[in-house]
Amino acid sequence: MQILITALVLGGISAVLAAIISVADAVLNNYGDVKLTVNGSKTYTVKGGSTLLTTLAGEKIFIPSACGGKGSCGLCKVKVLSNIGPILPTELPYLAAREKSENIRLSCQVKVKGDISIEIPDELFNIREYVSTVSTIRDLTHDIKEVFFSFDDEINFKAGQYVQLIVPPYGEIKESTMRAYSMSSQPSIKNGVELLIRLVPNGIVTTYVHKYLKEKDEVRLLGPFGDFFLRNTDTDIIFIAGGSGMAPIKSIILDMKEKGIKRNAYYFFGARSKKDLFYLDLMEEIEREMPNFHFIPALSNALPEDNWEGESGLITDVVDRYLARQGEIEREGYLCGSPGMINACITVLGKHGIPENKIYFDKFG
Amino acid sequence: MKQTPDLGKVQENMKAGQITGPGFLGSDERNLIDIIREDEQKISELGLSNEIIADKLEMLMRQGEKGFGSPIIVDNRFVVIVDESRGYVPCPFRHGHLSKKVNVNVRSMALKKEIDYTPISIHLIREHGFYQGKGSLYRLDPEEVAKFLELI
Repeated sequence: MQILITALVLGGISAVLAAIISVADAVLNNYGDVKLTVNGSKTYTVKGGSTLLTTLAGEKIFIPSACGGKGSCGLCKVKVLSNIGPILPTELPYLAAREKSENIRLSCQVKVKGDISIEIPDELFNIREYVSTVSTIRDLTHDIKEVFFSFDDEINFKAGQYVQLIVPPYGEIKESTMRAYSMSSQPSIKNGVELLIRLVPNGIVTTYVHKYLKEKDEVRLLGPFGDFFLRNTDTDIIFIAGGSGMAPIKSIILDMKEKGIKRNAYYFFGARSKKDLFYLDLMEEIEREMPNFHFIPALSNALPEDNWEGESGLITDVVDRYLARQGEIEREGYLCGSPGMINACITVLGKHGIPENKIYFDKFG
Repeated sequence: MKQTPDLGKVQENMKAGQITGPGFLGSDERNLIDIIREDEQKISELGLSNEIIADKLEMLMRQGEKGFGSPIIVDNRFVVIVDESRGYVPCPFRHGHLSKKVNVNVRSMALKKEIDYTPISIHLIREHGFYQGKGSLYRLDPEEVAKFLELI
């Protein structure tokens, strides 16, 4: 009997405490309506309490974020003009000294608790959400899929830019997750985008795409984002990419073809062995149609059965050899790949007279 | 030893789907403190330290990075392939550390065995003495990895 009474008393105390916590949470975390001012001119009345990233998304203003607000990509920076308190420990790793002094903050970490004024680039107002249907899924290699997402709305983007793909919860993954992927289709295609998605071991989004995504599935996309695009000059172009880094370069090259841009362009594409190469026929076709375009695939570890007679070695060594033969002429570099590859390419291009401010890249970082 | 509430929060962050798809715990249902303590004891018995193991893992990764995804032979003993992906992984201890998303595959030419790890594995071993839970994809059993790395 005494045990029963003790259990009832403890249960009663727990229930009262839970009720107090619930009421306190509702009172303390209820920030009511707050005023959000963007670029000094646009004002929104929003409900306080959510992160700035989420609050802006609620007003259809989409800040670039590759991790979907988990504080792990550092992309969602905005300039905050109001005093919103000190920089949080979770923001610190992503902010340079200059950014801290200018009150740049990570919008996924900052909570909107009172009236707030921010500054964002005007082009972010053009970013929209697209509800797409998966039209086609095609295996390009053993670990890269080409997926075409169709939608009714029109998208306007520059070749080289990217979208964020949002995948729903699945398996152990309890929340929607988004990741950034460059468009591989050209901007003239308005009612959809093509993405190249390489399977990353244990990657949440890439695993979904490779193991769960089917044709006719509905998927949301946000975009376009990014400042990786062809500059309007007449210098020679050096493109360098590896793996799914093919995507933005393919988009730029197809765009050049459609627009009749006749600049000399050399595209160095690095792969490990022949099974990692793709789009060889497409590149050959473009070479036929664009006499100033040259595609140079290179294998770093060609297998004996590959019977490879093309360029061999690390892509940096291949580029080095080519540029040495060409001599010093005015060029721009456009790179897409891992940070390690890009850093090494910048060194090689610099050796051949291409200054860093003429090298544009989409780093996987 | 008793698990603190702070470690309890860290253990939540380590579950599948929180920071990474598979998480850091595998099928291990023990408290985080017990996972760390057991591995700490083993490392001590072997006469090693977390730093020694982390240093060797990091050295192999740095050498492998030079291949941009292609195999690199290190010291004529190991073949290392480093694959980089876009983005970062925050440390589940949530103290602001970020590691690049990289998969390191090392094959021992002598033992004919392979291990896989990531920069966050190295950080977790060096800074937190955490070799991941049993059954985790990136678990590095202290004794096995010490043998593999030719440290014992």
